[in-house]
Amino acid sequence: MIPIALYLALAAIIFSIGLYGLMTQRSGIRILMCVELMLNAANINLVAFSSYHHDLTGQVFALFSIALAACEAAIGFAILLALYRMKDTISLDHINILRW
Amino acid sequence: MAVENYAFLIPLLPALAFVLTFFLGKKLPKGGAIIPIVAITISFVISLLITLNLLANPEEVINQSYSWFAILNIGILVDPLAAVMLTMVSLVSLLIHIYSVGYMSHDKSPSRYFAETALFTASMLGLVLSDNILQLFVCWELVGVCSYLLIGFWYEKPSAATAAKKAFLTTRVGDVMFLAGIIILFSDLFKIFNGTIPDGIYILRFDEIFAHIPDIAAMNANIFGMEVSHITLITLLFFGGAIGKSGQFPLHVWLPDAMEGPTTVSALIHAATMVTAGVYLVARTFPMFIAAPDSLMVVAYVGAFTAIFAATMGIVMNDLKRVLAYSTISQLGYMMLGLGVGAAIGAEAVGISLFHLINHAFFKALLFLCAGSVIHAVGTHDMRQLGGVAKVMPITAATMVAASLALAGIGIPGTSIGTSGFFSKDAIIENAYLFGDTTGAWIPYALSIVAALLTSLYIFRLLFMTFYGKPRTDYGGHESPGSMTVPLSILALFALFFGGLTSKTFNTFVSETFVNNFVNLNIHELASIGGYHLASHGGHHEPMLILWMPLIVALVGFLIAFLIYGLKIVNMDSLVSRNNPIYKLLYNRYYQNAIFTDFFSVKVIYEGFAFAGRAIERGFDWIVNWLSNLTLEAGESLRQFQTGVVQNYATVVITGVSLLVILIKVVMEVI
Amino acid sequence: MLNKEVSFTPMDVITSVYNYLKPRIWGMILALLFLSVIVVSIAFTSWPTMDQLPQNLEDQSYIEGIGVLIFTEFVIPFEILSIVLLSSLMGAIYMAKGDDNK
Repeated sequence: MIPIALYLALAAIIFSIGLYGLMTQRSGIRILMCVELMLNAANINLVAFSSYHHDLTGQVFALFSIALAACEAAIGFAILLALYRMKDTISLDHINILRW
Repeated sequence: MAVENYAFLIPLLPALAFVLTFFLGKKLPKGGAIIPIVAITISFVISLLITLNLLANPEEVINQSYSWFAILNIGILVDPLAAVMLTMVSLVSLLIHIYSVGYMSHDKSPSRYFAETALFTASMLGLVLSDNILQLFVCWELVGVCSYLLIGFWYEKPSAATAAKKAFLTTRVGDVMFLAGIIILFSDLFKIFNGTIPDGIYILRFDEIFAHIPDIAAMNANIFGMEVSHITLITLLFFGGAIGKSGQFPLHVWLPDAMEGPTTVSALIHAATMVTAGVYLVARTFPMFIAAPDSLMVVAYVGAFTAIFAATMGIVMNDLKRVLAYSTISQLGYMMLGLGVGAAIGAEAVGISLFHLINHAFFKALLFLCAGSVIHAVGTHDMRQLGGVAKVMPITAATMVAASLALAGIGIPGTSIGTSGFFSKDAIIENAYLFGDTTGAWIPYALSIVAALLTSLYIFRLLFMTFYGKPRTDYGGHESPGSMTVPLSILALFALFFGGLTSKTFNTFVSETFVNNFVNLNIHELASIGGYHLASHGGHHEPMLILWMPLIVALVGFLIAFLIYGLKIVNMDSLVSRNNPIYKLLYNRYYQNAIFTDFFSVKVIYEGFAFAGRAIERGFDWIVNWLSNLTLEAGESLRQFQTGVVQNYATVVITGVSLLVILIKVVMEVI
Repeated sequence: MLNKEVSFTPMDVITSVYNYLKPRIWGMILALLFLSVIVVSIAFTSWPTMDQLPQNLEDQSYIEGIGVLIFTEFVIPFEILSIVLLSSLMGAIYMAKGDDNK
């Protein structure tokens, strides 16, 4: 069987990729995608532990989390759309009107 | 009816009248004058009954104390000293209030006037009644506040506002000294009790203070290399307070300016309240002064000097009220001198001084009210524009003559014929002689004799210039209404006959305050603390000349005034001219304004403070600016962290988490 | 350069790599640091139950069980989630629609 450590390592790698993207990218869509990556890395962990412990709750929770991720993505893209309409860009560097 | 149980009402009723008049006075006729008049009448009746009761049974001193907080109390103490003061203050204040009804009838805010005078009276009565020094101080300050309000009653006049400020600030100098004395006294007493004060003992009460005089006298302070007993220090500080309040040299400058208020206020301040507070303070704490002969010396010298100093200025003033103001200062000097000579004659000095205080209250209130009557009718208080007023205002003129006779002290020595001023002032002068005889310090006696001459001179000059001769200008005028002349007549009776009727009983009555009553002190023992012996009592064998001297100089003064101002034998123009250096010196009031205001207060204090203020301000400005700049710059740089960019936050969080995990790992390894 | 032909010198490679890395290097370093921390933690953690547990393929994707669980034990979160989903969709539509058609 595949040991759990590998699932966890995979999740960690995916999370780190998301993290890297989150920290370096400036485009709103890329950042949203990176956030999705990080969320799903967490989901992998949930499913992995659920499977190893024979407890379906983790998988149910992963489902809920996916649904919430869908919400988040929908809202996020809607915001980006509105921003694009206003500023003609989705580069987050230019969304600083509330900044000092 | 046990009148003692109502003693607390004496100050409380006028205080209540203040509140009522203040809030309801505008809706009542004549500014609600009836409220304070009724209240003070009741106070007067109670005081009078208590005094009569004390005269019959001297041991029935009223002393009620209630715990205030910790080791302090509030209470009332009516011993003979306080009783006569209460009676005098309430009587004079009552008469002035009645008089004010007529005097203030044309003013626009009589209710404010009556409210403030009621509070003034209440605080003065409270001051007299106090049985501990802290309560006395509180009332003392209240008196100061009320005097400020009343002197500046016509606050829209800039000169009145300035005078009020000056009075308040000048007396404040004395008040600070008084407070310092209280603080030293308190800490000394605290030390004597070793910090543990038994229940029921309030250490600032007069009996406690007097009981510990020897202990306080044993403490020494080192000031500028001189060993000074604490008792001397405290009494000198108390006397400093009295100097401020009673207008002694050099803090007398506020008193002439206090004439800016209504004339009735001047009468109230100069006769019944305020200025007598200082004399009363010294009289009240007289056992402490007895134990500190140096302080008594200071009191005597300052008093004598003030008496002559103010009298010389009184001669040349042309303002009716200013002459009276300097007269007040001079007479207060006499009272202080009367207390100061206690170094020679012991507690009898209190009786003599208080006697003069009471008599002075009557005739000085009368003088001021007469002046007020003239001013009210004529509309000016410049004597050069007056003259011949007696024809228009016969009652006022008659009472004025009575008051002048009392002030000049006309009477026949050795008999009981004489005006009240005669008995008290001559007693003071004779005791000053005794003081000189005992201690060898003749200066106070010499000064007081010359001051008596000057007193007679300036008051008769005022009389001749104002009431006799031909009118110098066309001023019109009429006799004042009954509400003003009736108090004048009553006061005139007192000024003429009070001294003669009571001189014997009064002295013994008040002098025994500290001996047989509330506190039982051995004055001779206290004097021996100070290291001197009182003159033997009983045999006052002054030479005949000394007895007649005050009368002679008074008559001489009268003659001079009569010759110059009555018969105009001497051409005044030769004397009264800017070329006469003495006249110039006096008329400019010894250049006090130049010295005190222009040089001392403006140059030294004002500019000194301004300089110090600027320096301090600059320093503080720098500190404050530095602090604000620091915060601003810190904020400026720190807000760079708050980018508002979530990615940066995520970066920081991740970095932190990673480093934390590594740190924990490392730490765990090490452990 | 005299000729217009494109040539790569090592310097150009380094420069382009440098230009690529310059804005990203800190992100990379941090991500790698985090990754290494997690990987090390995973690797050095003993997972005691891992081998003893029976591994059953059917057990690993027990869809029916999940459905039963959702509609029994987790029915209330499920309903709430549906409402959240609905409202977020409405919000997304509202925002994305803009005010073109008034």
